[in-house]
Amino acid sequence: MISLIDRFGYMAWMREFELACLQGVPTREIHGELHSGIGQEAIAAGMAGFLRADDAMTSTHRNHLHAIAKGVDMRAMMAEIFERETGLCGGFGGHMHIFDPALKFSATGIVGAGVPVAVGHAHAARLNGKDSVAVTVIGDGAVNSGAFHEAMNLAGVMHLPVIAVVENNEWAISVPFSAASATETVAERAPAWGAHGDRVDGNDVEAVAAAFGAAVDRGRSGGGPSIIEATCYRFRGHFEGDADVYRSEAEKQARRAEDPLVLTRDRLIAARAASAQELDAIEQSIRLEVANLLVAVRADPPPDPATALHHVFVEESA
Amino acid sequence: MTRNVNVSQCVAEALHLEMERDSSVIIIGEDVGLQGGVFGATRGLQKAFGSDRVLDTPISETAITGMGVGLAIDGFRPVLEIMFVDFIGVCLDQVYNSIAKNHYMSGGKVKMPIVLKTAGGCIGSGAQHSQCLWGMFAHLPGLKVVTPSNPYDAKGLMASAVENDDPVVYIEHKKLLLTRAEDFPFGTDVPKDRFTIPLGQASVVREGDDITVVTLSGSVLDVYAAASQVVNDDLSVEVVDLRSVVPLDIETIIKSVQKTGKLLLVDEDYLSFGLSGEIIARLVERNELPPIVRRLAVPDVPIPGALSLEQSVIPNTASIASTLLEMKRNT
Repeated sequence: MISLIDRFGYMAWMREFELACLQGVPTREIHGELHSGIGQEAIAAGMAGFLRADDAMTSTHRNHLHAIAKGVDMRAMMAEIFERETGLCGGFGGHMHIFDPALKFSATGIVGAGVPVAVGHAHAARLNGKDSVAVTVIGDGAVNSGAFHEAMNLAGVMHLPVIAVVENNEWAISVPFSAASATETVAERAPAWGAHGDRVDGNDVEAVAAAFGAAVDRGRSGGGPSIIEATCYRFRGHFEGDADVYRSEAEKQARRAEDPLVLTRDRLIAARAASAQELDAIEQSIRLEVANLLVAVRADPPPDPATALHHVFVEESA
Repeated sequence: MTRNVNVSQCVAEALHLEMERDSSVIIIGEDVGLQGGVFGATRGLQKAFGSDRVLDTPISETAITGMGVGLAIDGFRPVLEIMFVDFIGVCLDQVYNSIAKNHYMSGGKVKMPIVLKTAGGCIGSGAQHSQCLWGMFAHLPGLKVVTPSNPYDAKGLMASAVENDDPVVYIEHKKLLLTRAEDFPFGTDVPKDRFTIPLGQASVVREGDDITVVTLSGSVLDVYAAASQVVNDDLSVEVVDLRSVVPLDIETIIKSVQKTGKLLLVDEDYLSFGLSGEIIARLVERNELPPIVRRLAVPDVPIPGALSLEQSVIPNTASIASTLLEMKRNT
């Protein structure tokens, strides 16, 4: 079990990583709609430390924090996001499509599409006779997709170790969850699929860690699928460039004040686990590391245009 | 020697041999286990390999295809059955956004050695159970597409599809699945042992000098029958069975049209924006288009329900024969 200070460190890494990515948008180093996870760090950081390399994770268009929690190399990921040849996928994927098969991490830009992929990973673990689990992180928008229902039902039928972590930030782009879901919560739907359902404060990294750790234990010991609904708020628009007029300024200001990094910092200080100066030093050092990472990535070349036809097939002759 | 087997049994034999030699091969789909497939193409496999490797699923095609993606990332070779190709509409996302693209999007790190096994073609089942759709799959980058016309090819192409490291859409023709080997004029002798047929290699099932007919899947039998008929009219027809749509064996087509100087394309898929037009375009680009070219394909209508209507929109022996005779007159 990793300490709360370590989780604070994860959150700081995630925040700084996303802030670094934001720098690539106005400079047109990053194209397409970049989705920032700023404000949702406590959920990803709450998952950190529980998963092994042979556990799988599928993620979404807003995937960078989850990849960091799974241990994906941050330099290679940042290079992929900044469209460099040195990127995790050589620039063929882009910021929405992060693949690290050695860590069984993949992301999809299609809402809900990662859930059945996790069921496949979980069945693979069963076929291999292993106690690995398969985590799928999705947003509240995905829980109304057919893919989510089909996959959770199959996970329930097969009693597979699938853990669906639902980042409920209340807004599927412009449509509020209250207008999109027939149930008040996602967690209460869990019995429909024979799954364990939990609803936690996704700003509380310890609450997320407790629920996630329990779900991983349940999955490893044959307890079947789990759904963890973690409530949160995305601090920025759906994508960089989103006018975000569907949420009132008052709402945005009030919710941004509930910053999970500040909450965790206050908790650490109150518990005398760390001083403000110590936490400042941690943040400073991470800020410096990420800044150096960004400098290094920016020095990398873009992919060679002549390679654009590679990788369509394994056998290139086709 | 011709064994007493039908095409479905040949497919099941191929799958059995692949599962025996490679423990990473698994089958997932509706009614593939206990029932052994609605056409019997997976019969006996669950009994032989267990219900974890031959998995009966709910009617959840998105879950089936999505599972295949996760299993492939983890090193398995899933054979995913979509019972009728028409049902691909409910799960096309996983097929064209993940199965077809993951190798590319990962910069070559992830392989998707998946077989999408499905049945197409007309047997009087109406607009939602009769399509072929190989042209649609072929249009989407990252998918190989094969469709056998006879028992020998059904077995050999399935072995190749399973061992291939790329995703392969394997389209069975419903009309052929329950047809016995002895009732085919070609591809009748199917070895019991494992063999493969390279993907992307067309087969000349009948040699001729006057007209080249390029066709595939269920239509090959009809073209063969028409070619046999027009012998009486002193017409010698060469029949090229594509076997693979992707990769497309354009060289075999060029070789044949160089000899005959006339080309008829017979395709049970829709006419426009599809296979027949693509072949013509490639011949044009290679400067090999013969002076006389005709196309017989479904004239951009849904497949009708009543057999009398269906037969008027899909190429059949009579329409193929009359087109061949008309092409002969046009010289």
